[in-house]
Amino acid sequence: MSCTHRTTRLALVASAASLALLTTACGGGSGSDASGPGDGKPVTLTFWSATAGAKETAEAFNKTHSDIKVKFSLVPAGPEGVTKLSNAVKGGNAPDITTMDYSALPEYASEGNLEDLTPSSGELVKKEFPEAVQSLVNLGGSTWAVPFDVTPIQLYYRKDLFKKFGVEVPTTWAEYRTAAEKIHQGDPNLTITNFGGGDPALLSGLAWQAGARWYGTKDDAWKVNIDEPASRKVAAYWDGLLKDGLASKTPLWGEGETKERATGKVATIIGAAWSAGNFPVSYPDSKGKWGIAPLPTWDGTPSTGMYGGTSYIVPKGSKHTEAAAEFIKWVTTDPKAMTARLSSLKTPSSALPANEGMRAAAAKEFDSSYFGDQDVYQLAGEAADTIVPGWTWGPVQQQVTSAQMAAGGDHTKMLSAGQAKGESAVTDRGLKLAK
Amino acid sequence: MAAPLTRPAKNPPPRAASPSGGPAAPKSPGGPGARRGQRRAVALFMVPFFALFTAVTVLPMFYAAWMSLFREESSGLGFGGTERVFAGFGNFTEALGNEAFLRSFGHIAFYCVLYIPAMVGGALILALLVDSAMARARRFFQIAYFLPHAVPGLIASLIWLYLYTPGLSPVTDVLDALGANWNFFGQDEAIYSVVNISAWQWTGYNMIIFYAGLQAVPREVLEAATVDGSGALRTALQVKVPMIRPTVVLTLLFTCVGAIQLFDAPKLVQLRANTMGEDWSPTMFIYTVAFKGHDYGLAAASSLLLALVAGLLSFVVTKLGNRWKAS
Repeated sequence: MSCTHRTTRLALVASAASLALLTTACGGGSGSDASGPGDGKPVTLTFWSATAGAKETAEAFNKTHSDIKVKFSLVPAGPEGVTKLSNAVKGGNAPDITTMDYSALPEYASEGNLEDLTPSSGELVKKEFPEAVQSLVNLGGSTWAVPFDVTPIQLYYRKDLFKKFGVEVPTTWAEYRTAAEKIHQGDPNLTITNFGGGDPALLSGLAWQAGARWYGTKDDAWKVNIDEPASRKVAAYWDGLLKDGLASKTPLWGEGETKERATGKVATIIGAAWSAGNFPVSYPDSKGKWGIAPLPTWDGTPSTGMYGGTSYIVPKGSKHTEAAAEFIKWVTTDPKAMTARLSSLKTPSSALPANEGMRAAAAKEFDSSYFGDQDVYQLAGEAADTIVPGWTWGPVQQQVTSAQMAAGGDHTKMLSAGQAKGESAVTDRGLKLAK
Repeated sequence: MAAPLTRPAKNPPPRAASPSGGPAAPKSPGGPGARRGQRRAVALFMVPFFALFTAVTVLPMFYAAWMSLFREESSGLGFGGTERVFAGFGNFTEALGNEAFLRSFGHIAFYCVLYIPAMVGGALILALLVDSAMARARRFFQIAYFLPHAVPGLIASLIWLYLYTPGLSPVTDVLDALGANWNFFGQDEAIYSVVNISAWQWTGYNMIIFYAGLQAVPREVLEAATVDGSGALRTALQVKVPMIRPTVVLTLLFTCVGAIQLFDAPKLVQLRANTMGEDWSPTMFIYTVAFKGHDYGLAAASSLLLALVAGLLSFVVTKLGNRWKAS
């Protein structure tokens, strides 16, 4: 046994060990076991979601169903989750069901990354969901997703500040501006709201309210219509408020914004139905001071747009579209699913279910005491009825959003940058652009 | 904890960087058979490296090259899915004609102009100070300067993000109190914010490398300089620095290759400084094209072009460095 043999053997062992260690460390997940219906075993569905309470929802489903088993995985929210999904579809290991923002749907559908749900869920969408959200999930004559929530934009306002400065709750945007001037004159440290950072999603929702339709389809071509009169009116209005110092320019979604709202530096927040659930968590000290009102309008007719929102989809390549449709039907229309989801949450959720039959169950789980005597779900439901119908998202919304973010909070520029990017991105992808 | 290999060297360091020209094979007492055994052991120990290098670097490069030759084509509304068509060098010409891609190199060039002198200069000054005869508590300073590098880049960037955010940051509070109105996320200021994060991360690391180089300067040389009447400053600049030139060149090389692959600091700063755009640096451009534009062909072509530029840059820096060393 010479020493060199020992080193050789040692090297061999060390090499093998280190390689083995690494292969186990980067071992990917194995595919789902493809057992189909009819062989006696229950069908196993994989379900990815970033939404809170999704895990408990899946568990509740498994308790009540014997022929389908749902296996849940938590995925990152936001762009990372979207990225992960498109890679999974490319790699052929996508889940059977996942959740997706309305604004990303056409992008996925137009790349062939979604299963067409028309045969399995088309009727369900037509019968069980409000018209305003149908246009978000039905594209080019097919149904690509089933709506989960509706996200009407509402006005959250500080009752105490309004009283202090003698301001009435504004019902039109002109009144809103007057209120902004009054409050700012009364205390130069206060602004009516934070509108910094140029949030493309909020801008689109406010343009939606004003009657804009950023995208549409005409025969077999996409229409991109972002830089148009109604949107320009909205952009000019907000740029004016910012220029005159009536709205603050704190970066969006940042800690600075939270601090500003928690310490009473802004008198209103323009948010969606789901925003209400964040108030008790983010601004606990202001309990009882916030009120909810319909969004101010341009012409006095009640109307609003949407800000965010989620739907359920079946990524391309799923072998269990029928079973997936059954789970999706349950999760979007069965009150039991809502109760299971909400009762598991650590922080309250005020997301308004798109399906009206679900709303009572959701409202029961929500503690409205933060907003005094106002019924959060009731108000959101009323706002949802005034969503301007007919809005459709486009196939390049992610890139349009990026281009708009880079416009640096200049809302008028956001429209022109979005329009230019939208047109070039549609043609870059080889899609048809309507002239 | 070893320093993470965040900056892969695309090519081996120049020969001249190892003064002895590589370690000489030790004379083993066991005769030729033993030497063969040893060589076999060496080869075996290298297997994991080459196996992994092939799996995670070489093969993906070939795959990227393959991908860069295709385009995904849709038609009409696109609901029929996409079709892969052969594009030849179309993706490359598209990348070279893409304004955002070219602009991103401009951003990095400007970044280098700000960052390299500040960081390398800073590291050199710190190393010379710690190496000077008057320095006390050397171990402490070495560790203290190195600590920022031990923090992963992403975490460091996040912490800096807090320090840049008005309303949260003590730094901005102090600046405001002084009446200086500096917006770390402004259109023109954002690049300085990125440079600062990088410098904070790498200055200490490179200082350690320079300091190690200074340790190797023969003490007799320094004594001779002192006897000849050279002061501390002059010794530092005219004796010590020339003697660690190879190290400085190597650092410059790594820094350039690292700079062109800049990703996490600008990506995070851009979250708040939206005007930078999501394609501020070449790697950010590639990321955005791949995962937001879903154009994998263009992303692959851009990656290969980036690798080419990084390779050329290394070559140029090495050449210049060798000339400087020889002078």
